[in-house]
Amino acid sequence: MSSVFTPAKLIVTLLALPALIIPAFALGYIVYQGSSVISWQFLTSSDALDGFGNSSGILGQLTGSLLLALGGCLIATPIALGAGLFYQLQANPRQRKLLESVLYLLQAIPPIVYGLFGLVLFVHLLAWGVSLLTGMLILAIVVLPALTLNTITSLQRIAPEYSEAARALGLSDSALVGRVWLRHARLELITGQLLAMARALSETAPILFTATVFSGVVWPESLLSPVTTLQTHIFYLAQEGGNPLAIQVAWGSALVLVASVALFSLLARKLKSIGEQ
Amino acid sequence: MLRLWLNTATLLCAASLLLIVTFLLYASSPIFAAQGLNFVVEQEWYPYEALFGLLPVLVGSLLSVGVAIALALPLGVAAALFNLEIIPKAAQSWLRLLMELMAGIPSVVYGLLGLWLLVPLLESQLNLLTGRTLFTAALLLAIMALPTIMVLSEDALRRVSREQRENAVTLGLNWWQQVCRILLPQAWPGIRLATLLALGRALGETVAVMLVVGSIDRIPEPFYNLLLPAQTFTSRIGREMGEAEIDSLHWAALMSSGLALMLISLIVVAPSLFWRSK
Repeated sequence: MSSVFTPAKLIVTLLALPALIIPAFALGYIVYQGSSVISWQFLTSSDALDGFGNSSGILGQLTGSLLLALGGCLIATPIALGAGLFYQLQANPRQRKLLESVLYLLQAIPPIVYGLFGLVLFVHLLAWGVSLLTGMLILAIVVLPALTLNTITSLQRIAPEYSEAARALGLSDSALVGRVWLRHARLELITGQLLAMARALSETAPILFTATVFSGVVWPESLLSPVTTLQTHIFYLAQEGGNPLAIQVAWGSALVLVASVALFSLLARKLKSIGEQ
Repeated sequence: MLRLWLNTATLLCAASLLLIVTFLLYASSPIFAAQGLNFVVEQEWYPYEALFGLLPVLVGSLLSVGVAIALALPLGVAAALFNLEIIPKAAQSWLRLLMELMAGIPSVVYGLLGLWLLVPLLESQLNLLTGRTLFTAALLLAIMALPTIMVLSEDALRRVSREQRENAVTLGLNWWQQVCRILLPQAWPGIRLATLLALGRALGETVAVMLVVGSIDRIPEPFYNLLLPAQTFTSRIGREMGEAEIDSLHWAALMSSGLALMLISLIVVAPSLFWRSK
């Protein structure tokens, strides 16, 4: 690498600049607009719902988002873990290939299609309606492929000597899984969970007409009642063109949402770097 | 006990894929019964007059995604080269962190930015009647695709072996020649993968596109006039799904739009995911 700044490097730099400036500017703009609204009261109150969503606080929305994401991840975890262990413990090469294909295909399906599927099966055929439960199940399917693939790679990283030693000691399958594999892969498995939370928190389309309503709900009363979320709150408020207050609340909600997603992905990043040491 | 859990979990993964395809086919069957495959090439979409055609959104989606990737690919690869080759090592990880955070910003937030920053900007700068156009959607999709393309391209460039670089330097190739003859060709499979992944994501992007595309079911006239309101698969489904009556023809037509979107995404993205596993 030469240190001289040649015309070629200048061209690459000029081409690169929009790619660097626009995202930085966008992030800065969200922080700038959002921070003027955010206060302790904004985060912790849910009162003054006047029917147009102009509540002065977003506690209900924040809770709804977190509940949906957490529920989705909790539902997906045993399935992802089970399928990952199946892959590593007992699958033959053909089954492995098949499971991989299924996961890649699931990953390629756009989230809104999961929303349509949930609308047909959960909302109407099973008559669960627009509800928290429907949303959790849809988000579980959304995060399932990435979570399973993460389980598989985490298990593959465990040095084979551990498994061989465990086998030589005569450990059963369940002891091997419980005492050796899960213990060794735990940091990476938790990293996967955090990334899945970040993913579930950022999804809007699949829950838009299957789990959420715009207003009228602060706390969901049961699994079968609808919720409000930050994502859909932003979506509806953004379209309230004539109401400057609504747009302000939208920016504030956007900043809170971005911060929550970033929190989960930064935690995941931190854990990953601890695991690699 | 363990076996039962593992088998059930694996079967559930496979079942979810089958269930999705089955239920979408089931829900969209009325439209195929009524119109057959004519549905795909029909140009009109007026739910109240029972006219249902796929062509407007097919054109809208492909145009917006095509333009977005054409914009984002050169810029994203240049940014990856810039980060890897030009700026000092200490700054690299910071820039990468910024990009990874950007890649994680929820699409609805991009939608908010698009609607309240990009739309007014285009309206005033290009003197448009409305800033909600296919071009706005393409521009927003390009911005959303940039971090993904940059991060994955950088990974691909980083994997080019040091030996090859050293040989190139020994041969007296200058920086530009190294980039064009060694780095980019060697990293091309990875860059191609990044592009296809970004393309798939852009195709399925919903709320951001919905907010800025204008949502009018019309094929641009002439087809390269992107400065008109249009409709994509996702914006149509998102706009109308809430108001369609259950089991009506409108409902079925929206479901089949989703089915078509899924098929296109699978065709575009799945092969690239298989390459990655190798």
